[in-house]
Amino acid sequence: MNKEKAQSGFTRRNFIKTAGGAAAVAGLAAAGLPLMSGQAQAAGDLPKKWDETYDVVVVGSGFAGLAAALEAKNGGASVLVIEKMPVHGGNSIINGGDFCAPGTKMQKEEGIEDSPELMLKDMLRAGAYINHPELAKMVAYGAKDALEWTESYLGCKYASVGFHGGHSVKRAHATAIRSGSEVVNKELAKAKEIGVKVQMRTKMERLIVDKGGRVVGVEVRKNYRFPDEKSGAAAFIKAKKAVVLGSGGFSRDVRMRMIHDPRLTDRYESTNQPGATGEAILAACKVGAMDVQMDWIQLGPWTSPDEKGFGFVPLFCERLVGYGPMINPKTGKRFFKETGNRKERADAIILLGDPVIIMGDTYAVNKQVFPHALQKGMEVGAIKKFDTLEAVAREYSIPVDAFLNEIKRWNGFVEKKKDDDLDCMIFKDAKPVAEAPFYAARLWPKVHHTMGGLVINKDAQVMSLDFNPIKGLYAAGEATGGVHGAVRLGGVAMADCIVFGRVAGKNAAAEKAWS
Amino acid sequence: MKIKKVVPVLFCLLVFFVAARLLWADARLDMSKAGVKGGNCAACHGQDKVLSKGHVDTKAMNWGACRACHTKDNLSLTGKLPNSHHHLLAGIGCIECHGKTSTPEGLDMDKCVSCHGPTEGLAQKTKEIKPTNPHTSPHYGTELDCNLCHHQHTRSEDFCGQCHSFKFKTP
Repeated sequence: MNKEKAQSGFTRRNFIKTAGGAAAVAGLAAAGLPLMSGQAQAAGDLPKKWDETYDVVVVGSGFAGLAAALEAKNGGASVLVIEKMPVHGGNSIINGGDFCAPGTKMQKEEGIEDSPELMLKDMLRAGAYINHPELAKMVAYGAKDALEWTESYLGCKYASVGFHGGHSVKRAHATAIRSGSEVVNKELAKAKEIGVKVQMRTKMERLIVDKGGRVVGVEVRKNYRFPDEKSGAAAFIKAKKAVVLGSGGFSRDVRMRMIHDPRLTDRYESTNQPGATGEAILAACKVGAMDVQMDWIQLGPWTSPDEKGFGFVPLFCERLVGYGPMINPKTGKRFFKETGNRKERADAIILLGDPVIIMGDTYAVNKQVFPHALQKGMEVGAIKKFDTLEAVAREYSIPVDAFLNEIKRWNGFVEKKKDDDLDCMIFKDAKPVAEAPFYAARLWPKVHHTMGGLVINKDAQVMSLDFNPIKGLYAAGEATGGVHGAVRLGGVAMADCIVFGRVAGKNAAAEKAWS
Repeated sequence: MKIKKVVPVLFCLLVFFVAARLLWADARLDMSKAGVKGGNCAACHGQDKVLSKGHVDTKAMNWGACRACHTKDNLSLTGKLPNSHHHLLAGIGCIECHGKTSTPEGLDMDKCVSCHGPTEGLAQKTKEIKPTNPHTSPHYGTELDCNLCHHQHTRSEDFCGQCHSFKFKTP
């Protein structure tokens, strides 16, 4: 994809391969000097020759990385963005395109009263108050400006303001095309327009630090072909001012997420793109960065094992809770409050150990579920239609009598609008599950977002294990931790990425060059 | 769980990828074959049996001649031949894309577009494909790199299949 030929600069591997190299190695070993491999590096181990030089090197081409690149470039820096995948955009390009911001023009037009204080309050409550308050505050108070920047500077279009669970008001600004691609594609177009260089298939192998611990560049593999770790060729890129990590989270990295939450084996798929593996976070830790809240990994309780990725079932499930029951097929009974939050529900399903069922009748489905989502979900076979409740039981091997009794019991709660068993919120216009055909889908959680990551300060500087900023290293977006605490609310990822991406880019450009 | 079905598929893909890489590695070393006609299998494959038993001699054939028997609906070659073979059979050899070089490199999609025309036109042509048009998406518009699906020297893939179940059969 890129024509740039990887220049064969000095690499230890190449050096060692040669006969002279081997002799020299023997000599070094005899002299008791340390030998480094690509894996373990000591501070101050600088390459003899840099293949390329920029003021600022950005790792990752999603919302955060590109926002940083744009601000760094506009701050007068020469900027390179590297992306390990063959396509730009990371998770941002498959993101649902909801941007939460308070006090905006669109909200005012709809008569929605909102404020940064209220958004912060919502973020902290959802985050179980373990958010780093100064970081959460940056996002809540900076979101409106960030949203307006995407409109005025990038030309992004937003169509409506919607609601996400856990927020006090409607504040999720939906991009006109209902995808984060609206923002990330326009970021990329602008970046190219103003002279930011963007290189795909270029993977950061490690951060390079000098003797004083300052980050001075990166070792990369060019023409890397994910996930072949041997593909491509090594190169060294000097970052005269700073490196910015906009490298995302680790939802697709089974080994890494199992370290922090051992339940999350490969039985759990992810809504993320395949490249959401956390090696850039680990690379930062190897040069002394501190991580935080890594075991707060968000699972969507609304995903289906019968379709790929995020899919259509979340749109079916989330519209039906409070209108239809969630059933454990083993017992035929309900097992958890359907309107509970993401985390509680995902944990409850994981504890059962096997997929569960969400269902609704024709009244509820027609009233609540978008026809497009229903149709698509049925086409892929993740949502199924049944003429009778008995047929539902047969399909999912549910004990029939227990199931019919449970539906009867649920219908009683719906009639009196009060759930005596599990305290599910039952909506005013909900009706008993009675009108055939019935619709059902299996649910099994998928890993969605990693709240934890690198510790940053409000200037987006990565903090070291001695509690000081690491000179020359910035991070933004899902690669960082602390903003969201225990739970990230829907629609706040875009705000987080744009706010901190811009901060990181501005500050990176303002660094004093080390060479 | 899907994962059980996915594992063998992934394994097959891996085996194929490795095999295809080895083949491609040979081709890389041998640009002297650049002038070979597409129908002359033995020129590159030697004694390896690459055609089915009893297949007519292909030595003098071009892509048009293949199409006399292999139509879209009958004995389709979709997914059977690396796309570089289609190109070669149509008279587009190594040099036409990679130029005269002993170290051919990966190309970007400008090269594809320079012959096949703008991507918008392509998307227009495939707008009726079910379940959805493979050449445009809310994510990348019409600008997703051709090479992500249509490989030349290894088996093509359904890039959308990472997240979607469109089940495209990619030529």
